[in-house]
Amino acid sequence: MKKLIAGLVAAVLPLAATAAYPDRPVKLIVPWAAGGDTDNIFRPFAPLLQKHLGGTVVIANIGGASGTKGAKEAKDSPADGYTLYAVHDYIHSTYWTGVADVNYTDFEPICMLSSTASVLTASPKTPWHSLKDLIADAKKRPGQITVGATLGSTSHFFPALIEKTAGVKFKYVSYEGLAPRMNAILGGHVDLTDSNLTQKGKVEAGQLKFLGIATEKRNPEMKDVPTLKEQGINVVYDVNRGLMAPKGTPAAILGKLESSCQAAAKEPEFAKAMKLQGTDVRYMERKQYVSWLKKNDRLNQDLAKDLGLLKR
Amino acid sequence: MYELLGEAVANIVQLKYLVPLFLGTLAGVIGGALPGVTITMTIIVVLPFTFGLDPLQGLAAMTGVYVGGSAGGLVTAVLLGIPGTPSAIATTFDGHPMAKKGEPGRALWLGIWASFFGGLLGAIFLIGATGPLASIALEFGPWEFFSLFVLALSMVAGLVEASLLKGLIAGALGLIVTVLGADPVMGQERLTLGIPFIKGGIDFLPVLIGVFAFAQVMGEIERPGSEVAKSLGYAKSLAVSHAKVVWEILSRPFQLLWVAFIGLLIGVLPAIGGSAASMMAYDQAKKFSRRPERFGSGIPEGIIASEASNNANVGGSLVTIMAFGIPGDAVTAVMLGALTIHGIQSGPLFISQHPKIAYGIFAAYLLAHPLMVLILAVGARWMLRIVSVPKAALFPIVLVLCVVGAYALNNTMGNVYVLLAFGVLGYLMVKFGFPLAPFILGVILGDQIEINLVRSIMTDANLWLFVTRPISGLLLAASVVSLVAAMWQHRRTQKKIDAAVEADF
Repeated sequence: MKKLIAGLVAAVLPLAATAAYPDRPVKLIVPWAAGGDTDNIFRPFAPLLQKHLGGTVVIANIGGASGTKGAKEAKDSPADGYTLYAVHDYIHSTYWTGVADVNYTDFEPICMLSSTASVLTASPKTPWHSLKDLIADAKKRPGQITVGATLGSTSHFFPALIEKTAGVKFKYVSYEGLAPRMNAILGGHVDLTDSNLTQKGKVEAGQLKFLGIATEKRNPEMKDVPTLKEQGINVVYDVNRGLMAPKGTPAAILGKLESSCQAAAKEPEFAKAMKLQGTDVRYMERKQYVSWLKKNDRLNQDLAKDLGLLKR
Repeated sequence: MYELLGEAVANIVQLKYLVPLFLGTLAGVIGGALPGVTITMTIIVVLPFTFGLDPLQGLAAMTGVYVGGSAGGLVTAVLLGIPGTPSAIATTFDGHPMAKKGEPGRALWLGIWASFFGGLLGAIFLIGATGPLASIALEFGPWEFFSLFVLALSMVAGLVEASLLKGLIAGALGLIVTVLGADPVMGQERLTLGIPFIKGGIDFLPVLIGVFAFAQVMGEIERPGSEVAKSLGYAKSLAVSHAKVVWEILSRPFQLLWVAFIGLLIGVLPAIGGSAASMMAYDQAKKFSRRPERFGSGIPEGIIASEASNNANVGGSLVTIMAFGIPGDAVTAVMLGALTIHGIQSGPLFISQHPKIAYGIFAAYLLAHPLMVLILAVGARWMLRIVSVPKAALFPIVLVLCVVGAYALNNTMGNVYVLLAFGVLGYLMVKFGFPLAPFILGVILGDQIEINLVRSIMTDANLWLFVTRPISGLLLAASVVSLVAAMWQHRRTQKKIDAAVEADF
C-alpha cells in the first residue's frame, strides 16, 4: 500500500510541479568564485535564461575543492528543477584524477553553451618572450617553474599536456579559479597559468604575457598571439561549459529548461557577451550534449592516464 | 583619480543611489542609537534588502549604515550615558557629564561634528591610500598573506576581555569551524561525521549572523527592564551655535589629526573594531592633554577624541577590504559577503577591475557624512523616542530579518540551520563569558590562513621563507610584538580591572 501511494505521489508530483514551474527562484550553482571565468560566462546568461524560463534565476557561487564542492551541493539538491548547475570539462577531470566522486552521470545534462580556448599565460616578471624560451628554460630547471592551477581541473590538464608534449616538468600550486590565479600571476607569485582571451586587456597593458593559444588557427580577435601548434607544441585545448540539473529532474521540467536554454543561447546579447569573454557560443541540445559528454569523458580518462594523473 | 572621483560623486547623487545611501545612513543612525543593537546587527538586517539592488546601490546603503552607525551611537551615549554601540563607550565619559551639566546641545553637536571631521579625514586617507595599498597588496605572495592573517589572529589576544584562556579557546573554536567540510585543495572531507550537509563546509556569513545578531538579541531579551525610559528633563533644548562648536573642534587641529590617525590605523589593521579605536584615541588625547585630570568631567576634548576616531576608523576598515579583500571587522565582513553575492571579487584587483564601484564606495562614504549630520540635525530629538521602543517589539523584528538574511544568502535552508546552531553556540559563549570577537575572527581568517600556508609550501618547500621574505618576516615579528604587548596589558588590567575595551563586532 505504501509503495502504491509513493508511486502515485511520484507520478503526480512532476505534473503538479510542472504545472507552474518555475513558481519560485531557480538557483544556478556556479562552483567557482565570483569574477572567475565560469562566473563571467553564466552571469550574462542567467538573465537571458530567466527571460525565457519566466522565473527568477539566482546565481550562487559555491567554490572550493577544485569546483567539486559546488558540484556535490548540486548533486545533493532536490531534483525539482529549482537547482541548476554550471558545469565545464572539469567534471570529467576531477572524477578521473580522484579529486571527487561526483561524475557527470550524477546529473541530467540540459544543454551545452560555450567553448573557451585556453591560452598559456606567463607572469610579466618572467624572462620569456615565447614558448621556445619557456621550454628551453624549463629544460634547464626541471620542476622549478611554478604553475597556478585548480588541481585536477582543466587548468591543471592544459599545462600538463604542454608539459608532456614538450618533455618538461612544472611545479603546480593550488589557486582555485581564474580570479585568484590572476592576482597571483600579476604579482609574480606563480610563473605560468592557464587563462583565456578575457585577459587581453592586461596583456595589452603589459601586465601579462600570452605565450600561445591552444587553437588550430590564430584567433581573429588577437592575431598577434601565436598558436601553440605553430610553435611546435601540438596541443589544442578548450573548456566547454554547459548547464545541468540533478539526476531525476522530471522530464517535463528538463524539456522546459532545454527550450529556454536554447532560446537564451540564441540571443544576440549572449553572443556579444561571449565575445567579450574570448568565448565561442557552442550550443548543443540535450541529446547531442549527452553523447558529447560520453565521448569527452573517455577522452579525459585517457588524458588522465597519459598524464599519470589517473586515480581510478 | 580626481576625475573618477568627481564622476562617482556625480553618479551617486542620482536619486537611484542617493535613496539607498540615505536610507542606509538613517538605518545606521537609528541602529547605532539603539542600545543593544550594534552596527553589525544593523548591517545584517539591511543585507537582504540589498540583494535586489544593483551592486553599487547595495554597497551605498551598507556604507551609509556603517557611517551612520558609527555616529548614531553618540546620541544615546551623550544624552542617556548609555553607549548605543560599543564604539561610543568612550563618548559617554565626557559627553554625558557635559549634557548633565546643562549643555546637552553642545555635547551632542561636538560629537556630531567631530564624527563629521573625523570621517572626512578618513575619506582623504581612503581615497588616497587604497590605490597604492592595492598595488602593494598585489606584491603579497602566499607567505605575506599567511603572515598578515597570523598577525590579525594574534590581535585576538588584545581583544579578549576578562580571560586570556577563554579568548584563545574562542579563537580556536572559530578556526575549527573553518576546518569542517572539504579541504580547500583536494576536497578531502574533514570532521563531517558523515553528515552530508557539513561536507560542503560552513559559510561565515550565517555563522556571523547567528553569533552576533541572534545570540546578542537573546542576551538583550533576558536583561530585565528598559533602561532607556529615563526622564530627559535636562535635554529640553538641543539648540546650539554650530559655528562655535565647529570652531571648538577645528581649533584643536593636532588633536583632531592625531585621533583620526589612531582611528584609521586601527581600522586598517584587520580584526580590531571601532570601540578599540575610540578607547585608544581617548586615552591618547588624555595623555597629550595639558589638563588630563579634567578628562571625564565633561570636556570637549574627550568627546572629540572618541567620535572623530570611531568615524575615521570606518575609512580605515574600508581601505583594508578594498585593497586586500580582507574584512577589517564584522561589518566589512558582511560587506565582503555582499560584494560576492553581486559577483564581485574583492582584492588587489578590485579598484582596477571595478573602478565604478570602488569610486562609488568612496563617493558614498563622502556623502554619507553630510547626510548623517542632516539626519541627526533633524532627528536627534526623535531618536530618543525610537530608543524607547519596547524591546518586545524591536527584537522579534531583528530576529526575523536575520533569518531572512541567512536564507537569502544562497537560497538554502542549510544556512538557516547554521544560523540557529551558531546562535545557540554564541548565546552559550556569552553566558559562560567567552568573548565573541576572537571566535568570529577565527571563522573569517581560518580558510585564508590554511590555503595560503598550503600555497606557500607548494610553491617552495623552504619554510624559512616565511621569515626571510622581508614583508612576511616583519608581519610575523609584529604578531609576536602584538601578543607580548597584549599579555603585558592583560596583566596590567588584571591588576586594576576597569572599564575594559569591549570588542564591537
